[in-house]
Amino acid sequence: MNAKANTARITLIAGIALLFAAVSSGREQQNGVRHASDFISTEYYEPPHQQKIKSVLSGAEALPQPGGLLIVKQLKLETFGLDGKLEVTILAPECIYDTFKGLANSPGHLQVRTGDGKFRIEGDGFLWRQSNSFLTISNNVRTVIEYGAKTNLKP
Amino acid sequence: MKCHSLIVMAMLGGLMAHAQTNTPGALAAPRGPTRISSDSGEFDLAGHEAVYRGHVHVDDPQMKLVCEHLVADVPQAGGHVNHIVAQTNVVIDFMDKGHTNHATGDKAVYVYAEQDGVTNETVTLTGNPQMENDQGTLTGDVIVFDRLNNHLTASNQRMIFRQNLIGAVADTNSPVTVVKTNSPPGTVDNTNKNISNNIVDPAY
Repeated sequence: MNAKANTARITLIAGIALLFAAVSSGREQQNGVRHASDFISTEYYEPPHQQKIKSVLSGAEALPQPGGLLIVKQLKLETFGLDGKLEVTILAPECIYDTFKGLANSPGHLQVRTGDGKFRIEGDGFLWRQSNSFLTISNNVRTVIEYGAKTNLKP
Repeated sequence: MKCHSLIVMAMLGGLMAHAQTNTPGALAAPRGPTRISSDSGEFDLAGHEAVYRGHVHVDDPQMKLVCEHLVADVPQAGGHVNHIVAQTNVVIDFMDKGHTNHATGDKAVYVYAEQDGVTNETVTLTGNPQMENDQGTLTGDVIVFDRLNNHLTASNQRMIFRQNLIGAVADTNSPVTVVKTNSPPGTVDNTNKNISNNIVDPAY
């Protein structure tokens, strides 16, 4: 993994760590790690574009697990280009996120759509590699490509 | 000669129907979505590439495609799918003028390109390609279908016509007429000329 990817991963992990420390609705668990609700974590581009949002990770609930794992419910990940345009939105009812490896996986359902909504993917069972934005869907893959005009959303 | 020309035009004429233009400034008609399903898939969202594996089905307003392995580019926001490669047991069905056209081959490559305001959209079939409808069958080394112009090109083409549809001979024992054409690679235009030079007696 190159330095850039490492930096991005560390940024996101740091964001999540801060998130779990700061979320006011969190509650202490027996192991001392906080449980978060309705969280949002924002990742920024590296300098000189550090003011621009690269991705926004949100969820209804996050349950920390041993080994840097998080069980995230109602996951929503949005990635943005340097121009601020929404590039990809990923939705999953539940998944396990490995904060060290930057991997998310689940046997459950997944939805992905491009920013303009014209390219949509869904399926069951997935592995998401954050470092290179690579998604593997294991079952029942369905894609819809639309050609009508839609507008992009900015963060 | 005239009869065979009519057959060719009837068989391929369906592909020529509803001709659109690829001249600059042409307005594309709105179209419905394309749906792709498969057993599994891999999506390189940074590299903008999608790979579908196992029982791949493509349902498009203009055609239906089935294969075992399909690679497509993922369009960027506002973009168009520019390149699709379908491989292994490729079957394409499309309707035209009430005729069901059935194409098969080992590989099909779809290319969509816009350059200087000119749009080109082609499907190239290779690997024992064959195109069939209720009027006959076309085979060749390579079959290229220009989707925007509904123009068909085949190299080293071979055409088999269903004789009972032309009414040329009643009660014949021969169900088809075979026409083997010569190079150069045929187009709809020069196929007619080739056919004219390779007349087969319908009563044969």
